[in-house]
Amino acid sequence: MKITCPICKKTTTWEENPWRPFCSEKCKLIDLGKWVLEEYKIPGEKTEEEKDETKESNEPPRRRDGGVSKK
Amino acid sequence: MEDKEQVNQDTETYGAEDIKILKGLSAVRKRPAMYIGSTGPDGLHHLVYEVVDNSVDESLAGYCNNIEVTLHHDGSCTVIDDGRGIPTDPHPGDPEGRTAAEIALTELHAGGKFESKAYKISGGLHGVGVSVVNALSEWLDMEIKQNGKVFQQHFDRGEPSGSLTLVGKTRGRGTKITFKPDPDVFETTEFSYDILSQRLREIAFLNSGLKITILDERTDKKQEFIYKGGIVSFVEHLNKNKSPLHPKPIYVSGEKDNIFAEVALQYNDGYAENIFTYANNINTKEGGTHLIGFKAALTRTANSYATSSGLLKNGKEASLSGEDIREGLTAVISVKLHNPQFEGQTKMKLGNSEVKGIIESIVNDALGTYFEENPSVTRKIIEKALQAARAREAARKARELTRRKGALEDTGLPGKLADCSEKDPALSELFIVEGDSAGGSAKQGRDRRTQAILPLRGKILNVEKARFDKMLASEEIRILITALGTSVGTEDFDINKIRYHKVILMTDADVDGAHIRTLLLTFFYRQMPQVIEKGYLYIAQPPLFKVKKGKTEKYVQNETEMQNMLFELAADDLMIPIKGQTIKGKALIPYLKRLSKYERLREWFGRRRKSPEVLSRLLKAGINKEMLKDQKTVEKLLSGIKKEMPDISIGEITPDEEHQAYSVEIRHHNTKVVVDTNFLMSPEFKELENLYGIIRDLGEPPHNAETKEGLKMLNSSEELLDHIFGVAKKGLTIQRYKGLGEMNPHQLWETTMDSEKRTLLQVAVEDTVQSDEIFTILMGDQVEPRKDFITRHALEARNIDI
Repeated sequence: MKITCPICKKTTTWEENPWRPFCSEKCKLIDLGKWVLEEYKIPGEKTEEEKDETKESNEPPRRRDGGVSKK
Repeated sequence: MEDKEQVNQDTETYGAEDIKILKGLSAVRKRPAMYIGSTGPDGLHHLVYEVVDNSVDESLAGYCNNIEVTLHHDGSCTVIDDGRGIPTDPHPGDPEGRTAAEIALTELHAGGKFESKAYKISGGLHGVGVSVVNALSEWLDMEIKQNGKVFQQHFDRGEPSGSLTLVGKTRGRGTKITFKPDPDVFETTEFSYDILSQRLREIAFLNSGLKITILDERTDKKQEFIYKGGIVSFVEHLNKNKSPLHPKPIYVSGEKDNIFAEVALQYNDGYAENIFTYANNINTKEGGTHLIGFKAALTRTANSYATSSGLLKNGKEASLSGEDIREGLTAVISVKLHNPQFEGQTKMKLGNSEVKGIIESIVNDALGTYFEENPSVTRKIIEKALQAARAREAARKARELTRRKGALEDTGLPGKLADCSEKDPALSELFIVEGDSAGGSAKQGRDRRTQAILPLRGKILNVEKARFDKMLASEEIRILITALGTSVGTEDFDINKIRYHKVILMTDADVDGAHIRTLLLTFFYRQMPQVIEKGYLYIAQPPLFKVKKGKTEKYVQNETEMQNMLFELAADDLMIPIKGQTIKGKALIPYLKRLSKYERLREWFGRRRKSPEVLSRLLKAGINKEMLKDQKTVEKLLSGIKKEMPDISIGEITPDEEHQAYSVEIRHHNTKVVVDTNFLMSPEFKELENLYGIIRDLGEPPHNAETKEGLKMLNSSEELLDHIFGVAKKGLTIQRYKGLGEMNPHQLWETTMDSEKRTLLQVAVEDTVQSDEIFTILMGDQVEPRKDFITRHALEARNIDI
């Protein structure tokens, strides 16, 4: 399986890769450092917007991109 | 090497008086290893280097441009150069009146290089000279072309069989040595083409412009080495299968106090440090003063650039270590000096202390200038070093994190963990529960024999006034790793030490829950993928609803299941005419599902300001992309719709050249539908078209719906659907759980934790690859697609279904 190293974005493989999903020990360490140093944050949404977007069952029935005509 | 040209082509100054006599050659045959290192393959090949080095010395002095090495069938080797030729006149200091050439071949430590006036710089086997080769050869033939004459002399095991004899005339010049290594001395006498060609290539790199040819008569293999670029070409050669950070190697050189130093270096995107050092062409494998000087200068120059350019911010990273700066560095350092001192076990370490300061100041000046003049290359180099520094720091922090005892109990386990009594990992489960209150419920509700609970809250960061970012605190990561027992990091992690074979993420069904789950999934995927590969990672499925009817309670997992349940309830007591037949009971359910899908999709279009009414009319008129190809048909279609919906306004019919069709805009209040081929072919519209069948089957309103309570007539499909839900929900109390904390311990156990009843989703690697992509986008700098992803994917996390 081809995967993208989350740190340096190089293409690498899952199989026979001791540092999977990274390309190297270095990238794996850099990632670990980011967890430890609390550099990974998932940005929250602005509160006003949240009301609009997260209303129940307002999702499209299927997820497709560019489906609706763009004008 | 510019000084070559400056040397006068003056053969006379290199005369017999330049050769000093240092007696004692017979010792060489007694203890060969003392002179050539060994009698194995290394020593054997050293013989060739020794002869070649003499020719290279001629080249260094500026008199030789070509060296040819030939390996013969009989195991002998010939080295020919076009230098001045070894002096053939009698040596003035020799009582026996022998020629300087004969002395050079028969006396130990005899050679021009001991008189520095003849050779400014020289390599050689640290001065043992070609006499050692002679001593260790079964036979040796020497031919010298000098001043228009050709001389020859033959030796057996180092002893001349006659004196140097004039044999003919020539226009050429140079020395030719053919020798056959003595099988009595060497364990093996077979030369390796590969070993020799590698070293000869190296010599050619180190002496730019010098042409070295190697021919193997045994196999007809031939190679020619000539590198105008010198050590720059060498570095390019070393980096040829790597990805360099900058296209051209950096070259610096200088001369001070008769010491000439040059350095070529290039960074690649790898992590290895690859530095080759030479002193007078000898590979100083153990380094020495030239290497020390270079390293010191590189570290200093890089740090001063990084600081002055602001790349290195004071505080977190105060300075770059030499090791960081040399990551991914390929370099060749070559010094040429007068009187090299070799030290160390194998005499492969340069000892001249004066070299350090000289090379340091040359590299400081030249590299400093290069950095100033090439800021974009330099920036890449410094950033790479900064990354190396960060990785090193990360590794240190990670070790510190898992080895620190911190808030651990006597058992070595974190206090927040409510462990299970079972010790067999195969039978143990760890629930990672979001939030303290849910953690409390889970602790009370669990089966404490096999189920352990670890509450994690995540950390909330108030970034702007209205935005709260979510993260895992480093303390939480530490606790998690300790609870798992696997440790973490590239060296310490051990999947076999995991304490639970089921690690179950239990988070709320809201945005925060989705974020914590995404963080945890990403952490496992990146730092402990083995946990996922082994199939140890799961996601709990707490219910989203509780439905109460009379005294019975039922938990419902998700929206779809909820809807299905409502349809089943409605179908129990409902009769609807479809295609003229009255349908009731279970047979009605598929129709209800289609109707609901159709209405939901219409709502979806409505939210995108595309009037659902207009769409219904278009579908009713049986619109398709073929109709758009004819203007008349389009006009007819539109006038029909206008009749039924007088309040719409229809735009001009314009040609859609891309599809050889027409396009028209229909406005209805504040909505707008652009009817064109693209729109009709969009997956959403096609789906709507497909679902429209149910509306046809229902026929024109009013729709009749009959229940025990009587007949009801509904004016539209929307009203019909509302009515159906109304019928279903009669007598029901539906509670929507917003968080795990809303459930009491018993409910949590019953719905989510009880292994007899619960549903778990097992996380697979493929799912986490996707999850990681989401995470990467969430972390990204592009704000817009990120927002899109949060609402469309992360919130739902449906992609984790298996």
